[in-house]
Amino acid sequence: MLREPNKYVFSQLETYKEKLELEHLKKKTIIVNMLVFLLGALVLYLLLKIGRDFDGIMPLMLTFIFFLIVNFSFYSYKQDHYNYLKILMYGSVIFIYFISIMIVFEFQTPSSFTGMFLAYAVTSIYQDYKSIMLSNFTLFLTGSLLVVRFPEIFSISNGNNPDTFIVLVFLLVFVLLLTLSSLILIKRKTFFYNQLAYVKEAELRNIRLLLNIQKILGKNEINQNSYYDKINAFSKAVSSKIGVDDIFKYRLILLEDLCKLNDIEFTNKYTDVTIEEKQYISQMRVDILSKIRTISIKASQSFGIKVSKKEVFAETQFKSFKHSEDSNYSKIISFVTFYTLLKINKPYLKALDEEELRDVLLNSEYFHKVDRDIMNIYLQNSEVFDTIVNAHLKEDEL
Amino acid sequence: MKNFFGRVFNSEFLTFNEVLRLKVTIVTIFLFIFVILSIPTTSLSDFTSDINLLLPISFILLLLITIILLIINKNRTAMHFSIFTIISITIYYLGGSDYFYGFILFFVALTIIIFYQDIYTYLVYGGAITIYALIYINTNGSEIMGANSASLEISNLTYQSILLGFYIVFLIQFIMSDNIYENLNNEYVRMNKVLEKYHDLSMEHLKEILEKNNASFIYNNINFQQTISELSVFVNEFFEDDSADILEAVEFYFFIHDKDIDNIVEDKRLNVKTRKHANEFKKYLLNNRTEMVSMLFEFSTLFQDTEPFSDNRYEYNINNIFYNKVDKLLAMSIIYKFLRTEKTQYDKWGKITENFTHEQVTELFVSREFREFLTFEQVNFYLDNQELFDEYLT
Repeated sequence: MLREPNKYVFSQLETYKEKLELEHLKKKTIIVNMLVFLLGALVLYLLLKIGRDFDGIMPLMLTFIFFLIVNFSFYSYKQDHYNYLKILMYGSVIFIYFISIMIVFEFQTPSSFTGMFLAYAVTSIYQDYKSIMLSNFTLFLTGSLLVVRFPEIFSISNGNNPDTFIVLVFLLVFVLLLTLSSLILIKRKTFFYNQLAYVKEAELRNIRLLLNIQKILGKNEINQNSYYDKINAFSKAVSSKIGVDDIFKYRLILLEDLCKLNDIEFTNKYTDVTIEEKQYISQMRVDILSKIRTISIKASQSFGIKVSKKEVFAETQFKSFKHSEDSNYSKIISFVTFYTLLKINKPYLKALDEEELRDVLLNSEYFHKVDRDIMNIYLQNSEVFDTIVNAHLKEDEL
Repeated sequence: MKNFFGRVFNSEFLTFNEVLRLKVTIVTIFLFIFVILSIPTTSLSDFTSDINLLLPISFILLLLITIILLIINKNRTAMHFSIFTIISITIYYLGGSDYFYGFILFFVALTIIIFYQDIYTYLVYGGAITIYALIYINTNGSEIMGANSASLEISNLTYQSILLGFYIVFLIQFIMSDNIYENLNNEYVRMNKVLEKYHDLSMEHLKEILEKNNASFIYNNINFQQTISELSVFVNEFFEDDSADILEAVEFYFFIHDKDIDNIVEDKRLNVKTRKHANEFKKYLLNNRTEMVSMLFEFSTLFQDTEPFSDNRYEYNINNIFYNKVDKLLAMSIIYKFLRTEKTQYDKWGKITENFTHEQVTELFVSREFREFLTFEQVNFYLDNQELFDEYLT
């Protein structure tokens, strides 16, 4: 069964994830530059210590300076910052290895070869999937080439030279383990970005859902006249107290007309109000799910929320039908109950037909919320599930 | 094998314990290969033949203990044993004549500890290995000094600074990722709690709809119960032949809907299995806002038509949404009016019939949490004119 994991992902998430990632990418770029600066200082100290002259020191030092200047320039360029920093990150990974290879050739000792591991450590700060793959690939490729093509670098003073094959095995173990480690770590990081972006979007959608349910109850109507009349009176009182003209007057007239008039009538009446201005003012409408109404609903529910340290990494924070402490019976009963409820009309969601439901369960994140064995049983027997539900439930509603 | 790689590539959906188990399994496989590979090289070491035979056997024993611990789900202890194994292998190599391999093994040992991504484990074991390595280089530096090295001092200094740098850079990475994840997770948990509040309100409204229509909850419907029973038996048949137990569990699931679950869970007279099931089913009940109900609400939002992303889509601070002072004050007045007049709070019977009082709104406005919506400047304006807010906006 081929999955399309992005089929039911909220379309708004990608841009928000970029915003979240950009903040962290900026910090990581600064840290990497600081580490490269320190590495440059260490190399300079060692070069001076072994008595290299100015001509011997300059090429390496200029490379370090060039790296830092390029990073500073890209970091300062604010337009399309995210993509520029990403390009800078990939470039920096390659450049850091370039510098470490220069160091190996400069010193030509086994100790300088271990600097490649340090280069790897510095590039791992980025915690980015593509950059870490690039780093692993570069480390293995350059490391292997150095071991095979320049074995003299590994010559030990006592003549007990290491075997090329064994050094390659060590290198392979090092790269493989760190690749897997990074893969797991980065997947987890991406998961958190996704979850946070998801929960932000979910909040908006759940407020909308709440209003829809209130609408069924006839509870979501706001009397806009009473709202604006009262704010008008308040505006007059405040203005008089602070000794200025009626401060909200013009805005309130516009808001009232936005509620009363249709688009054409409004445009004809206010020829000087641009579409952008109209959208801007509409954010304060109380008769629809506007920005101000969303803020008000959120404000009414956002108090008294405490998050303890214990809760932060608790597995129970992730809703699912496969909690590790649950028995198989609980996993089965919870999933089949969820499935059945989706096949029934509810005030907030119409019943889904089998084809649609199977598609959502297979291609959305709900695939991962159900025990894999149970999900496989369902996917392979969805017709049986459908038949059982249809045999008992037809007209029921929650 | 396919399943194993599947777990690695979907590791973000595993629990922390499952991820740890996966990591220990990977390390154990690596170490096993390493030990097998190290046996032919034992002839190169300086130990006697007895020790050269005994040491690989003890490594295998350590690995067997790790595997047993994994089987009995003692994953954290298994992790410690896998670290003991690589430390033992490193010390073994350092005791031989191939000092350079021994030195490289310091990096491999650190890599394995890094793999577990646990800051305390890294600080303790990683720190100990690094200190040992630094001392080792001081005493045995000449054995790993490159033929082209300028001097022993430079060689030792290079080895030591690179190893120490490696340890510190990964420590920075640990601190940074711990910090990032903690912040992300903290925000996620907080947001989840806010979502639960919306779900609580939605669920209360649904109860009102049922009351209004003189209808009862779906779990009381015999056909619904019958459907759940049949589906559960059908799925359970793939795991076990006997259906009596799961039928009993389904019956119990519906039975506890109208009972006080906490009393059942804490009632020592009931058997452990009953109490365990009650505790597990608590989050899947249908008569209150539970995990099941929240998942249903969230599922329904997949089908909502919404606007595309805009820069202030998730922005709730009126200071960042509106440009001028007048608009910001007007927005604050509307929020105040909403909080004072709309029914968003519960009464003592759990019904949504209450709104905020003036004192409660003032408490909200000055609270730290409310900086998400208003700035201090706006709150100061409110405090200076609060009697007018109270008089006109109710």
